Parts: sequence; structure tokens; C-alpha cells
Amino acid sequence: MDQLPQQLVNGIQLGAIYALIALGYTMVYGVLRLINFAHGDVYMVGAYIAYYVSMQWIDRDVVHPYMLLAIMLISAMVGCALLGMLIERLAYRPLRHFSRMSVLITAIGVSLLLEYGGLLIFKTAPPPSIAEDVRGPFLQERFEVAGIFMDRGQIVVLVVTLVLMVLLWHFVTRTQTGRAMRAVAQDFDTAALMGVDVNKIVTITFLIGSALAGAGGMMNATALGTPLTTFYGLLPGVKAFIAAVLGGIGNIPGAVAGGLIMGVAEAMVIWADLFVEFDLTGYKDAAAFVILITILIFRPGGLFGSPMEKV
Amino acid sequence: MRQLGTVWGLAALLALAGAGCKTSTGGGDTVIRPDVDPAATGNAVEGDVIKIGVIASLNGDLKPWGEDSVRGIKLAVEEFNAAGGLDGKMVELLIEDTASRAEQGKSATEKLIAKDKVVAIIGEIASGITQPSAMVAQQYGVPIISPGATRVDITQIGKAVFRACFTDNFQGAAMAKFAYEKLSLRRIAILTDKAQPYSTGLSDVFRAAFTQFGGEIVDEQFYEKGTLDFKPQLTNLRTKNPDGLFCSGYFNEVGPIARQRLVIGLDVPMIGGDGWDSRELLQSGGRGIIGSYFSNHYSSLEDREIVQRFVANFTDMWGAAPATAMGAVSYDAAGVLLDALRRAETLDSPGIIKAIQDTKDFPGVSGSITIGDDGNAEKAILVLEVTEEGFVPFDRIDFFVFEEK
Repeated sequence: MDQLPQQLVNGIQLGAIYALIALGYTMVYGVLRLINFAHGDVYMVGAYIAYYVSMQWIDRDVVHPYMLLAIMLISAMVGCALLGMLIERLAYRPLRHFSRMSVLITAIGVSLLLEYGGLLIFKTAPPPSIAEDVRGPFLQERFEVAGIFMDRGQIVVLVVTLVLMVLLWHFVTRTQTGRAMRAVAQDFDTAALMGVDVNKIVTITFLIGSALAGAGGMMNATALGTPLTTFYGLLPGVKAFIAAVLGGIGNIPGAVAGGLIMGVAEAMVIWADLFVEFDLTGYKDAAAFVILITILIFRPGGLFGSPMEKV
Repeated sequence: MRQLGTVWGLAALLALAGAGCKTSTGGGDTVIRPDVDPAATGNAVEGDVIKIGVIASLNGDLKPWGEDSVRGIKLAVEEFNAAGGLDGKMVELLIEDTASRAEQGKSATEKLIAKDKVVAIIGEIASGITQPSAMVAQQYGVPIISPGATRVDITQIGKAVFRACFTDNFQGAAMAKFAYEKLSLRRIAILTDKAQPYSTGLSDVFRAAFTQFGGEIVDEQFYEKGTLDFKPQLTNLRTKNPDGLFCSGYFNEVGPIARQRLVIGLDVPMIGGDGWDSRELLQSGGRGIIGSYFSNHYSSLEDREIVQRFVANFTDMWGAAPATAMGAVSYDAAGVLLDALRRAETLDSPGIIKAIQDTKDFPGVSGSITIGDDGNAEKAILVLEVTEEGFVPFDRIDFFVFEEK
């Protein structure tokens, strides 16, 4: 029982990143009714950008370590935002008036293009990882509160995630563009008739969603040290997609809640492994789906999903 | 939703197909080599050229190991030919790319034997690719010698199949012995990659051997290839107060495990197998991997004379020292085969099979090699310590037979 708080913290950390990626799925769906399958791959590109930036400066003393982290985060976000806009402009916009299935298949095509095309561009053999030293000694310092072990880097990741979410919330609910975005989500054609520049709104949606994915990729790759391949975004992408559906796809607080539920559920399943004879850890992904199915049975629109309140 | 599910499934499948892996299985089973003579008599040397086939992963996930492997083999053959070959007969290598994929290994083997008429084959470095290739070779009666397939059942395919490396059976037992005797560990926790037969096999042998030596396995936790966050599993292991952590998986996951265990506070020595062998481990593992130990075939830093000569010649030929242990084991695999050519009574596949089987105390770079009745190389294992400068030879464990009681 005494491991429960630690596992909760583990789960929240995992879930925060799922939430960040899920936001991109949910925003794009809200505006275009499109599942952007390439979103997980944008996350992968974000991690790679962070890696290349870190390799550029890590051995030179021109940049302060914390400055380097900031540059990595910003380059990943900017790079991914541009990539997201480019994908929308080249692959989705020309097909906007075709059947939804065509766009969906195109999204899978873009996803495969990034995964296999990435093999030609990115270093994959052996898979590179972002060095631990990038985080500097201060962030690597471990501390213990009431039996919960953490390092400062994880606190920073949580804070940055939270700040990004609050900024997004402010943007969507308190600005003119945010209001236009909500209008487009509610009714694409009517919003256009009312003078909303829908193309601009769609571009901005992709820009923000992809930037958040880039931030998630950078932070996960830096904190966890996972070696990067072009398939780096596959599993987190699937998990975040489930999180978005779980929370009610198209709903922003829902995506955050869904991400956190997914992360905590995974950690809980592994925690429960302590109390049973057989191996439970293999079922951690199954648990996520069981939760998804259960919630969808009782609330088909997802936790926060209601048809009128998209984005 | 159902269509969506199918689409995700498709995407996942495609990704899996792309992400081939250095798979191998093992297990504590006693090795039994069926007394099956090959169904056919293979090929014979014609004219003044001895054709030898090579299958290697020159593309895909295993490219760094595959490239090293081919370089090692080419070096061995060049030395053989430069020394006059075999009574004027020169060895010609026919190299086929397996692209890190099992089915491509199989078709490459078929092509080499049926079309190119090679008398013997060297390859593959991965157990998963060697398996189907060796079945083809056995069927045609052409000897195949694998530099890096450590999975136990590979040589059980038949009498035409050999290997120049140790098996996971010996590797697991040797590391258990090392942990118990040299590091004086008594309570070890295991982390296993459930999706890799290599990892589950190695963990099983380690568990059996370590318990037999008198230690205790306090817990075993599992993860799957591609897992990002290991903190939940590490938290569970921490509650059992282990004094060591055995990670049987590949460096891709072992690095992040090492880094994340520091966060969780699992400050015990880590040990593992040859799946750790990549310099990338230092980068992904950070401080967490320093002071860990793993078993390997060989190290360029060993001061044995044969090693230094090999590294010098390799560097001369290729402009860089071998990046992985596969350069040396492949050089040895080729060495065993070329040595067998000299001793073969008849210059055809059956003659070479017999000569390889008779190999005794062949002076290999990765140690003295004797081919046992089971077709495996009986040789010592090297334990490397992970330091900030790299992987440094720490200990050598002589060959012994571990039998599960």
C-alpha cells in the first residue's frame, strides 16, 4: 500500500504527456472532424528536433544548460508547428470537400510517409537518445517527499505542461481567434458564412496542436532517455488518441482528463501486480482499453463529450 | 469505430514489420542435437574458386552489427587469400543483404545455395534471421556457421548448423555465477522484455542458475519493447529491497531503465547480457548505467595479442576499429570455416561439415573455440564493466556446462 502515492505520481507524469498529445487530436477533430493519424509522428519529429539541437550545443559552453533546454523546447515546438501547418496545407486542404474516408486514408499515408521517409533523414541505427547531461546537475537532483521519489526535472516537465494547457485554455476561451475556433468547431459552414476565415482557423488549429505534440516529444525524450526511431510516436500516439476519445473527442478538458486517466491507470495496473501471483504488467495496455470500453458503454460521447460543445 | 480500429491495427502492423529485431530465444532446456544428416549433399568446389556465401543485415535495424559482421568476414578471407589460399584455390565471397528481416534471410540463403552454388554459408548475426536460413541450409546439406545467433535451439536444427558464439544458456548461467561469486549479490530482481524471446529466455536461465548457486530472485517485472516509462515497474522492484538488478533486454530499453532507476531510488548494481552491446547505451543510460556489468563475446580493449593484431588489421582495412563485437565474432566464424577448408578431406559441403565439427582449440579473437557435439562453440565469456570511457574488460568466465536441476 505504501507504494500507492509513488505510483500515482508516476501515473500523473505519464498521463500529462498523453494529455499534451491528446489535445492535438481533439482540437483537429473538433474543427475538421478528422482523426489526424500523423499526429503521433509529429510528436516523433519533435523529439528528433530536440535531439539534433542538443547535439549541436551540448559539448560547447556557448549556451547555458537551462538555456539549451529552452532552445530545444522552442525549436521542437516551432518545427512541429510548421510541419503540422505544412501537412494540413499539402495533404488535407486539397481533400477537404471529398469524402471523410479519403482524408482519413490520406492521414494514414502522411503517417507512413513520416515514419518511413524519416528513415532517410533521421539517424536511426543505432537509435540515438538525448543525453542525460542536457538536463544539467540541478534538474537531475533527486529528492524525497513522504516516500515519493522525484527529480527536479520532472517537476519542470509538469509545470511546463500545465502552463501550456492554461495558455491554450486562455486562448480558446478568452481571445477573438479562440472564439472563432469554437465557432468553426460548432458549425464549419455557418462560421464561414458569418465571415470567419476558416482556412486561417484550421491552420492555427494545426499549428497549436502540433506545437503541443512537439513539446511533449521534446520533454518525454529528454526526461526518459528513450532511444529515438521514426516509430517513436506510434505507441504514445495510439494512447493519446484513446485518451482523446475517452475524454470525449473534440473536448479540450476531456483530452486532459483522458490523458491523466490513461497514465494513472497504467501505473495502477503495475502497482496491483504486487498483490497477485501472476504477472499483471503485461495487461497495462489492456487495462486502458477496458477503461475506454467501460466509459464508452455508459457515455458514448466520452467523459466530457456532448455534441454541442466541441473545442 | 470498427473501421478506425482496423486502420490503427494496420498502421501498427506495418510499423512492427518495419521494426525488425535482433530476436533470439533461449531457455533452460537441455540442448539435444538431432542426429539428422542433411537430406542432400550440398555443393562441391569447382575449378579454382571456393565460393562462400554470406548473409548479413546490411540495412534495417541491425545495420551497425551487420556492417561490422561483413567487414570482419572480408578481413578473414583477404588474409586467407593473401596467404596463398588453399593450394592456389582462392575464396570468393558472395554477400547477400537480409535487410534485418527473417524472410529475406531465407530467400537469400536459397539463392546462394541453389543459384550461386556456394559450398558453405556464414551468417546471420541475429537468431531470428539465422533460424529460417539455417533450416534451408540444413535441407540442402550446406554448412552454415552463425557468428552471433545465441538462441539455444539454432544448432538443434541439424548437423549442418554451427555457431561461433556462446549460447544464451551459457550466458545466463555465467552471469548468475559472476553475480553470485564476484559481486557477492544474494537478492536479485529481474526486469524482462516480454516481447523479446531473447530476453525471456535469458531471464529464465539466469533465474534457474542464480537460485541454484544459492541466491534468491526477489521479483521479476516485465515490460515490452518500446516502453517509454519504466518507473512503475522500478517502483515495484524497489519494495523488494534487491541488492542487484538483472536486465536481460536490449540496450534500447536498458538505457532508459538505468536512467529512470536513479529517479526512483533503486541504487543497486545492474547486470545484463550481450543485448547491451552498443555505445548508445552510455548516452541513453547516463549516470545510471555507469558501474554496471554485462557479458559479451569480446572487447577491442582486451590486451591479448590476437585481439590487438585483429583490431590493428581491421582498422588498416576499414579505417575504423570494429564498432560492435560482431566484427570479431564474424572474423572468428569465417576463421573456423577457413580452417575447416584446410582440413577437409573432400572439398564439398559434407567434407566441410565434418571438418567444422572436428574444430578443436581454434585460436579465435573472441577466445579459443572448440565445436562441441551440439554444434556450439565452447569458449569463455567476457564480462565488461560500463565506465564513462566505455566498456572495459572486467572478468573472464571459463566455459562450463550448466544443467538445470
